[in-house]
Amino acid sequence: MRTPGRQDGDEAELIDRSRKGDSQAFGVLVERYQRRVVGVALAVVHNQDDAIELAQETFVRAFENLSKFESRSSFSTWLYRIAANLAIDFWRREGRHVVLHGEDADEEISRLPSSRGDSFNEASRSELSARLKQALEELTPEHRAVILLREVEGMSYDEISEVLQCPRGTVMSRLHYARTHLRNILKDVAGS
Amino acid sequence: MAECGEISMMLGAFEDSELEPNEMQEVAFHLARCESCTGILGDYSTLGRNLRSIAPEPKLAGFSSAVVARVERLPQPVLTRIERWLRRQADSVGSGIAWSGAVAAVAVATIILMTPYAEQFANRGPHSTTSIAETGHEAATAANQVAQATASEPTMADNDSHADISRLESENHSVAVWSEPRRGTTVIWLPDQP
Repeated sequence: MRTPGRQDGDEAELIDRSRKGDSQAFGVLVERYQRRVVGVALAVVHNQDDAIELAQETFVRAFENLSKFESRSSFSTWLYRIAANLAIDFWRREGRHVVLHGEDADEEISRLPSSRGDSFNEASRSELSARLKQALEELTPEHRAVILLREVEGMSYDEISEVLQCPRGTVMSRLHYARTHLRNILKDVAGS
Repeated sequence: MAECGEISMMLGAFEDSELEPNEMQEVAFHLARCESCTGILGDYSTLGRNLRSIAPEPKLAGFSSAVVARVERLPQPVLTRIERWLRRQADSVGSGIAWSGAVAAVAVATIILMTPYAEQFANRGPHSTTSIAETGHEAATAANQVAQATASEPTMADNDSHADISRLESENHSVAVWSEPRRGTTVIWLPDQP
């Protein structure tokens, strides 16, 4: 996966060609960033079908507004910001609370190595998975986005700050809140 | 030693390696002596692994082609389309050829604009073959004058009429032929058939 940053020569050329209306060049950029753009949208709306639709819209909006993109900033961050804005707007408009579709999640969790002394060890793994999904649903989109962008997408605090357009300190406090909240819920599962 | 409450605020950032070096050191020092905070840190780590494990892998088959198809269907303003077409042409054929095209376009435009003058110039020749049958009032007046009075005269300039007749030429007295350089025409006058 590419890490966000200033674009290399190849990317700058692809962007330039896309600006001139070359849809095939833009298709290469789509291939390059589609997974993470979907990931950003998914972090907010928490529904795969909606996330994919929003990611498509993100790329279309990006194509339409390429003339406004300033090459000084990172193209990927610019894309993720569009995706996050669209997803947050969508979530606020729709107000949906849809259960995350992760067919293989239980199986994946059962394969996790157990770590002695963890509160999670005592909880049944399928229950843990279900509770974790539910706990994520209980978070606000802002808190969910921050923790999923960090833990799943592996973004740095600065990147999250840029994508969600909030100060780094806000990213840290939201992360702290989200982690504490999820941990408490999972401790309850472990204790029950 | 720092209090647990103060350190717990930094545990997540410590796990993410997002603290300043001196803060990293401070938290590490605390963790070496605090089981409670070490347990919380372990929970955060496990939480991260669990979150990654339940994250669905997006189904991206056909995603990029769908985006490209949507992009290609986008309506574009005419000016944008022209601009993009010109840019593509300039890029693909090179600026030299583009300039040649521009020069050729200017040349064609010049020829089109200059054609009436070119015809006028040609009409000044001794035996112009370009003729325009003209039935307007001015031409008819001039033709009558010419036919009645001076059909055999080689040249004439009629200053009263707007027709600037410079030359008359016809072997048949019932037909008047003259050129009008100012109008860039040659007029052939024929009497009405009985």
